Amino acid sequence: MQLWLGFAILALVLWGITGVTQKLSTNRITSARSFLWFCWAMMALSAAVLLVARPHWGLAPLVVACSVAGGALNGLGAWTSFRALESGGKASIVISLVSLYPMLTVVLAVVLLHERLTGMQMAGAVTAIAAAIMLSLEAPAKAEA
Amino acid sequence: MTGENRPRKLPLWLFWSLATIALWGAWGLVSKVASAGADPYVNQLLFTAGIIPLLVFVGLTVRKQEPAGKAQSAEARERRGQGIRWAFFTGILGGLGNMAFFQALVKGGNASVVAPVTALFPMVTVVLALVFLKERLGRVQWMGLGLAFVAIYLLSA
Repeated sequence: MQLWLGFAILALVLWGITGVTQKLSTNRITSARSFLWFCWAMMALSAAVLLVARPHWGLAPLVVACSVAGGALNGLGAWTSFRALESGGKASIVISLVSLYPMLTVVLAVVLLHERLTGMQMAGAVTAIAAAIMLSLEAPAKAEA
Repeated sequence: MTGENRPRKLPLWLFWSLATIALWGAWGLVSKVASAGADPYVNQLLFTAGIIPLLVFVGLTVRKQEPAGKAQSAEARERRGQGIRWAFFTGILGGLGNMAFFQALVKGGNASVVAPVTALFPMVTVVLALVFLKERLGRVQWMGLGLAFVAIYLLSA
């Protein structure tokens, strides 16, 4: 297996677990407070990184700007997804809709970074998005008698 | 133009959903650009710096909506504590996931491939929810689970 794929699958597994832990959290506290403690945990993780790892500095300004922007975009995205759910959007529709985000990344990466996808990878990207949407559709509740 | 023919306003939930797509879609792109120079540790530090303004904003909002000092029963306090612990654990796992995502980009994965692979994380969530939360999976979710494996195979080709 290619190394990048191993790390991508590790991210998939870790984020997949957060789907359950986040639900366990928001069943007990508001999504805003849950998000707040999510952010505090990110700070704690960063403190641990500073203690354990030896970060390599001396970065180009563009790299620094993109890393900081990554945090801001990711955090804001989480916040807007909560707002979508709180603004009357059905969870099954909102979550399915936001599952389309990798399609935008694909388009931006092809157009701006000139990445190239093989035919198989293009089919895989479309299949992945379809799968993510299908996975977000919860089983309907049984009809009442 | 009559009132009936006037275009409807974009529903608020749809606006926030589209904003989410734009923000997360752009996040994949900027992460790939950052991966050309930063390692996952430095990225985690800078990524957290990017979250701080939002942390302050949400913190102030929560303080306004849920003023401290309100008397709570022991049961409510315990429930709140559990919720906070799960949220904190979510943040640690989410951060480690971010580092793995970033390392996938550093190790040569294209953003156009890594983003769709990692977006399949609900496949793990639904399996865990099935096993630990005893949730039922619908037929469409089972099909989605199968399709997710096909997608990973195709994307890694």
